[in-house]
Amino acid sequence: MANIIDTNEPAQDAQSAQRGRGTRNITWILAVIGALMAIALPTMIILFFGMLPTMVAFIIDRTKGKSATFTVCGINAIGTFPYIMSLWTEENTIDAAMNMLDVFTLLIMYSSAAFGWMLFMTAPPIISSFIEVMQQRRIATLRAQQKTLIDEWGPSVAALVEAESFDEDHKPHAPSSEDDEND
Amino acid sequence: MAEAPNTAEESAEPKANEAPPTTNGKAAVAGGQAAPTPKPKSSTGAGSSDEPFAAVEKLANVAPGLTTAMTPAMLGKRIKILPGQPLPELDTPSAKAYVAEDQREPARPLYALICTPGLPVRTEVMRELKNVTVHGLIPLVEFGPVDWALLNQRCMAVIFERPLGGSLADAFKDGPVKVNEYELGERVVDPISHAIATLKDMGISHRSVCVENLYFMDKERRELVLGECVTAPSAFNLPPIYETAQRAMAMPHGRGIGTVMDDLYSIGVLMVLLLFGKNPVEDLSENEVIIKKIEQGSYQTFVGDVRLPLQLIEPLRGLLSDDAAERWDGTALEIWLSGQKKTPMQKRPVQKPRTSFKFAGHMHVSPRSLALSLNENVAEAATLIKNGKISLWMKQSMMMASVADEIDHIVASAKLHEGKADGEDDVIVAKTCIRLDPAGPIRFKGFSFMIDGFGPALAVEYLRKGNFQLPSEMLARDLAGYWFSAQESLISDASSYDKTFTTLRSFFMIKEMGFGIERCLYETNRSLPCQSEILQKVYIDHVEDLLTGLDEVASETDTQSRPMDKHIAAFIATHFKFDVSPHLKALSDEKPETSLVGLLSLYALMQWRLKNQALYGLGRWLGGLLTPAIGSYHSQSTRSSIEREIPTLVRQGSLPELFDLIDNADRRHQDETDFEDAQAEFAHSDGEIQNIVGDEEELKTSALLSGERATAVTSIVMGMAAISIILILQSV
Repeated sequence: MANIIDTNEPAQDAQSAQRGRGTRNITWILAVIGALMAIALPTMIILFFGMLPTMVAFIIDRTKGKSATFTVCGINAIGTFPYIMSLWTEENTIDAAMNMLDVFTLLIMYSSAAFGWMLFMTAPPIISSFIEVMQQRRIATLRAQQKTLIDEWGPSVAALVEAESFDEDHKPHAPSSEDDEND
Repeated sequence: MAEAPNTAEESAEPKANEAPPTTNGKAAVAGGQAAPTPKPKSSTGAGSSDEPFAAVEKLANVAPGLTTAMTPAMLGKRIKILPGQPLPELDTPSAKAYVAEDQREPARPLYALICTPGLPVRTEVMRELKNVTVHGLIPLVEFGPVDWALLNQRCMAVIFERPLGGSLADAFKDGPVKVNEYELGERVVDPISHAIATLKDMGISHRSVCVENLYFMDKERRELVLGECVTAPSAFNLPPIYETAQRAMAMPHGRGIGTVMDDLYSIGVLMVLLLFGKNPVEDLSENEVIIKKIEQGSYQTFVGDVRLPLQLIEPLRGLLSDDAAERWDGTALEIWLSGQKKTPMQKRPVQKPRTSFKFAGHMHVSPRSLALSLNENVAEAATLIKNGKISLWMKQSMMMASVADEIDHIVASAKLHEGKADGEDDVIVAKTCIRLDPAGPIRFKGFSFMIDGFGPALAVEYLRKGNFQLPSEMLARDLAGYWFSAQESLISDASSYDKTFTTLRSFFMIKEMGFGIERCLYETNRSLPCQSEILQKVYIDHVEDLLTGLDEVASETDTQSRPMDKHIAAFIATHFKFDVSPHLKALSDEKPETSLVGLLSLYALMQWRLKNQALYGLGRWLGGLLTPAIGSYHSQSTRSSIEREIPTLVRQGSLPELFDLIDNADRRHQDETDFEDAQAEFAHSDGEIQNIVGDEEELKTSALLSGERATAVTSIVMGMAAISIILILQSV
């Protein structure tokens, strides 16, 4: 019918727009990589092989904000950068770059990446435990403050909060999709 | 007096400072106070003399065993009243007489009348008559409340010069109180009429002109004077026979202020009684006398077929005229007394109906007498009114179609309100009586009053029954408004009375403190002392004395109760000239803290405006009640601070400062603001706690996520730091 409006149209537009942006980004990245390969191919060779664990991490990382990738990347870069530096200061050719990539070099680069992974596996739980303790302390402080307020002003000082929670409890339920279907 | 026996001098010879006769003295002691000595039911009494005595029961019911050696009561610094020396021969139905002494002039013979507590007295008249010499009237020397030990409370005392010759009735001992026609004018009527005329010039009607209230000021019994008229409401002590038919139909306390014309009518009756030496209608009941006056006229009722001395026919016909417009006024009486003749009055035939109406065993020929009977037989009357017999009689026999229509309208209106208060038989009968006798009193369930007598009627009703049931119902039914609508010709001051009743009804309808029927009581009895139970032992008839009165009783009262009730609130609202409506509104609030603050603010305002001295007792009383008011502050520290300060201010006796402590605007505003801030702070803390706590799983996930992010950031920072160090080392 001519009057029926398709409500899926905006979602489809957004998806196609996102797809267009992704294509543009890849184009730009490929262009930059292409340019860098043309300008500094030896460096790019070292970077490609040295940072290979980071790229793998990027692919397999499912954490929010790609935290694992950033952790591996930071430490992996520490293991890779000295060789790039050596390339820049000595002989910056493709052969020199290829010669540099022996087993020992790769072991160092990949060990650093492995250290990054190890860091990512161990540090967050420790930090989260620390954060939890901090939050418990904050709750205790806030509760003490509330007790002081009640002592000074009486139980009615909590009236606002009680009223809000009452409103929450007695808020009319939004019709569920099942209800809609039943209707 | 020609007929006054010589021996009378012995019997009625009260002497100043002399102990009362043994028998009377014993009676006084036995009763604690002079027992309600039944007035010699004189020839004038027409059956209602018992009623006023009921009002003095209070005065008589005192503890037995009190001796004559009782401490004298002081009125001011001069007058000493001796409770141990009663003078029963000078008692009135509403007041008891005692010997009084003037400290500065001990030889001056005085006596005091102690008024019945709660009975409204005529303070305004006392004020006018104090130290004014009115020829023919007993001189009033002083008045004011005194501590009366016999009743253990303060009572109004009125001091008069003592009539050394006793009362006129006493002068005749047991014989008839008779005066011949030659002495009647000169010895009796002349001084009385002079007194009445002088009072009229002062804007006062005496309303107590009767044989029982005539005294001889001198021992020789030459100077006759009218007795007092101030210790009770107008005409309260007057036997109904002395009243016109209209006023006699009302209760003794509802007969109204009246006018000088009512006094002149009383003089006419007095003349007849003294001339005959007896009451010519003593065989008739009170109602029969009234009905006879209505149907035959007052002159015919009293004189009948008796042959009168020629010189007395015209004055008696003039003074006993039932039409106030035709009645002799003071000038006419003066002319007669001076020996001149006045044009004889035309005798008007009484209008007779075609047929009489039989009701309550009497064949009524007048709507007015029928109204009197209907009011006393409500159930039968209502039946007759509802079946239309009365309206038919009014239409066909009395030829008063408009009144008949109004009665039909009353019945129709009652049918509309059937089952409700407005449709009750009492209301139907009351309204019908008003239509039948528009000039008569308003009568409702036995509560009957003339329109100018509502105030005293209300006060005495409360004194006797302890409640306002009937006056309240009367106001609720708006019978006064109906009475005004029934007036064929406007009575004098009708509009002012109409306005008064409209205001009273509006006061009555408001159920807050300071209003209600109590307000009506004080508005209509401006000199009535406050009737509050709390102030029972003190006599507060001026608002200026109220706080000191409360201060005085504070030590003897249960201080857990409030120093306030409906009577005190109404008394203040009536007499205090400054606007107290916001205070009364607060006082009526359901919340105890608001009500207490209202009470304190009212008393603080009064103390400040009236410049009362320090009130230690009342301050302590109020201070002990303020816990709920202090509790209205949110801050605990503010409450503690106030509680600490209260004793200091109580010791100063300053209510304004106490109020300022309890309800200081800045402090209360600060408390409110701080409380709102505290509420916001509490809510903010609670929000933060909820954010932190949330769901436990969520909390752990959140912490882990934070840990991962921290690790990533640390790693990047470490990488950048290492690269920077390498670069720096390389460049060096």
